[in-house]
Amino acid sequence: MKFRKSLIGVLALAVVPMAFNSVVFAQTPTIKIGIMAPITGPAASIGTEQLNWAKMAVDDFNAANGWNVEAVESDTELDAAKAVTAAESLIADADIYGVVGPAGSQEVEATGPKFKEARLTTISGSATRPSLTTSGNDTFFRVVPTDDAQGPTDGNFIANELGATKLFIIDDQTSYAAGLADAASAAFEATGGTIVGRESVKQDDQDFSTLVTKAVGAGAEVIFFPGQIASQGALLAKAILEQGADITVFGADGFQSVDDFIKGSAGAAEGAYVSAFAPDIHKLESSADMVKRYTEKYGEFGTFGPPTYAATTVLLEAIKRASDAGNLTREGVRDEVAKTDQASSVLGNAIAFDENGDVKNAAFYIFQVVGDNFELIPSSSDEMMEMTPEATPSS
Amino acid sequence: MDVFLQQLPQLLINGLTLGAVYALIALGYSMVYGVLQLLNFAHGDVYMIGAFIGYFVMVAFLPPDGPIIAPVLIIIFMMLLAMLGCGVLGVVIEQFAYRPLRNAPRIAPLISALGVSFFIQNAVQLTLTAKFRNYETEKLIAPGLAFDFGNARLSVTRALVIVTAIVLMIILQYLIRRTKLGKAMRAVAIDREAAAMMGVNVDQVIVFTFFIGSALAGAAGVLTGIVFTRIYHFMGFSAGLKGFTAAVLGGIGNIPGAMLGGFILGLTETFAVVFISSTYKDIVAFIVLIIVLLLRPRGLLGARIAQKV
Repeated sequence: MKFRKSLIGVLALAVVPMAFNSVVFAQTPTIKIGIMAPITGPAASIGTEQLNWAKMAVDDFNAANGWNVEAVESDTELDAAKAVTAAESLIADADIYGVVGPAGSQEVEATGPKFKEARLTTISGSATRPSLTTSGNDTFFRVVPTDDAQGPTDGNFIANELGATKLFIIDDQTSYAAGLADAASAAFEATGGTIVGRESVKQDDQDFSTLVTKAVGAGAEVIFFPGQIASQGALLAKAILEQGADITVFGADGFQSVDDFIKGSAGAAEGAYVSAFAPDIHKLESSADMVKRYTEKYGEFGTFGPPTYAATTVLLEAIKRASDAGNLTREGVRDEVAKTDQASSVLGNAIAFDENGDVKNAAFYIFQVVGDNFELIPSSSDEMMEMTPEATPSS
Repeated sequence: MDVFLQQLPQLLINGLTLGAVYALIALGYSMVYGVLQLLNFAHGDVYMIGAFIGYFVMVAFLPPDGPIIAPVLIIIFMMLLAMLGCGVLGVVIEQFAYRPLRNAPRIAPLISALGVSFFIQNAVQLTLTAKFRNYETEKLIAPGLAFDFGNARLSVTRALVIVTAIVLMIILQYLIRRTKLGKAMRAVAIDREAAAMMGVNVDQVIVFTFFIGSALAGAAGVLTGIVFTRIYHFMGFSAGLKGFTAAVLGGIGNIPGAMLGGFILGLTETFAVVFISSTYKDIVAFIVLIIVLLLRPRGLLGARIAQKV
């Protein structure tokens, strides 16, 4: 009997706040945003970082404005088909006014038509394929520059700064990697260099030894591998080391993972290069507080997360402006996002979009692996921001 | 062509390494099929579990820093525990997923196998997350340690993989050809009911078959970890597919066939990368499979056996 009483008590305790909650919700409109990222799967290390930065942006926004925006996590596993399913469920939730993501260009391509039809704004912090913004989808925005900038930057750097004349290219059969590989190889050939091989791998391939043997046979000096899976870069570097070949690995923004690329290679990636669409904010004075708060809560991070923070902030501010103007609809949010004019961001640059939804004046950066860090190559960007020389490097 | 001839030894080394892993996985597929006519689609995931057991044994025995005591012993321990763990897992899978369906139509255990496969993958993803983990092979075997033959380099890591795989295959062959248990296995494979009537404990034989097949998959998992270093929860899917292909190529149910199939598949993929393109290596591998099946429907070494009714 005593047991039954306490059980009823527990039930009552559980039911009362639920009832109370529903009353509260009925009075103020619920505002949610979707966060699409590869939270699990092969790019999980990047996706988790993006998710955590997005969550921090939501928390910061709520704290600053006294709002209660809810972040809806949506896992895409970096898979276009899964991204479509995820997009459909976000679209179906009428309380969602905007989406941060998706992460990969192939996911943006797959989900774009659905989001456009639903007039739901998506702001990606990492999808860089140029055609994403020029294909007429006015609900897609991104806070990172496109591969129109990244490909030539990489191709020219390999030819001019590394002095290579023979380049071997590997892509991972994604629209992101293939586009970037094409752009870089065109730029490299324009400098008079030769592409001695162009191969592609699947994202779950483990064995790079034969590709390395082939690259050695072709006389390659540099292998450009703009893959999305950082650990594949580590596997490539290891295979090169194992065969004692003298080939430099050059990756793109997908390899910006200290855990998967640098630590995963157990030293084999030393001296490798990667390009990145965002600076290392560890070295930005203006973001020092942010770096500290993030690290305390979620641990270390690379260059993938901060652009997602910027994207989330852009979206939330637009929702707020739309709400203030009494036009809190999906279309209203889209219009406000297009009008974004932020004087500064976590990335150190101002954020405004051109008519296609591309961020204005963003630059690519090139990093080299030194020890356990990505060190910025100073010549790689003309827009060096206020650097603190003694700042602790990322790890 | 000159370049190719120079690189031929290196390509053989690459192909044999890959083939050794495929062959070990194929053996488990083939043995289970031979005894039960069941395609054990959870086999690739048992292989993945083996890789993880090896990984955690390695982590437990590697000091965070300082000298490593007896790396050879650590590797042996990784192998043994992974084989034991996977063997037990195989037996458990048989007990819960296949035994209740032994007399059901053949499609039922097949579906059950797919279910087990999803279950294992997702269980690992939930408990260990989808993170990639890396074998710290370089701490066990110095990366520079290698035999150089002209242009080719056979690293000790690869030599270890190839030799271990071959030794395991010889032991298996001995077990099946020369021991009483092996004789019982062959008897059950030929005719389960007749074997039972002759006093063979069929259940026990099936349990042993699963144990040995899964243990070999566990060994393949550890060897993959040692040579390719990266492991994750989904690695069993494509490896299982390749192992299955190798088993069919060699003649499913046939032990030497599985070994042959594995090595042929590994070498085919390697040469496809060089002669055609890495993009098409899987396509080439499957075209080879189709051609072999057209010419020899039971695989390269598959015996002509009457279909049981």
